[in-house]
Amino acid sequence: MRTGGGSGRPGARGAAGREGKAGPRKKFFVRRRKVCKFCAEKLEFIDWKDVKLLQGFIPERGKILPRRISGTCALHQRKLQTAIKRARSIALLPYATD
Amino acid sequence: MRLYDIVVLVTPDLTDEEAAKTAGEYKKIFSAGGANLVKDESWGKRRLAFPILRKREAHYHYWQVEATPALVAEAERRMRLSDQVLRHLAVRVDEELKRAAKSAERQRAKAARRPPRPPAPPSPAAEPEPAQAERSQP
Repeated sequence: MRTGGGSGRPGARGAAGREGKAGPRKKFFVRRRKVCKFCAEKLEFIDWKDVKLLQGFIPERGKILPRRISGTCALHQRKLQTAIKRARSIALLPYATD
Repeated sequence: MRLYDIVVLVTPDLTDEEAAKTAGEYKKIFSAGGANLVKDESWGKRRLAFPILRKREAHYHYWQVEATPALVAEAERRMRLSDQVLRHLAVRVDEELKRAAKSAERQRAKAARRPPRPPAPPSPAAEPEPAQAERSQP
């Protein structure tokens, strides 16, 4: 399915690109599709001991990065959430920072 | 018997050996109760993400134990009573691991059943042409 859809698109995109060059600048840019990191890498389970992994989902403030920003799927976000909360309880990760 | 991940944070006031000894007390509970120690790691003195009882570091000790629930409950109770233990965490992991192994197995089976798709999709331009050819023939 994917490869088929992909083959159709490059032509269309090429045409659009040509139009863009001729006319004024495009108003909107192509948004990159977000993919769930855990699905993509086929990580079987999210280890709460893996601080390095979890830290990628903790912004400056110490809050858990929302799904709408990270692109994580519902299932993995839920598992990520419990992992982060466990890591917090033994002070591997902060509850909040300022 | 269930598999548990157990982490104990021991006060930084103790030296490494003393901390290992206090942690060893809890390990003894498990070995006395007939539990099976799968992993035994010492993460050393680590900085805490936030201060606990005004302390900024702690000795981390981690075990993976195959034990009965009652044994874990008893160990947790004693950890709670101890002043040397700042925090502890005991989490059951066998079900999670089993599920992970199962899904890994499923994925392997899926990959075996369906060989990689040949990268030769029909080009969209090729389709309209035959239709025109048919019309022109009669």
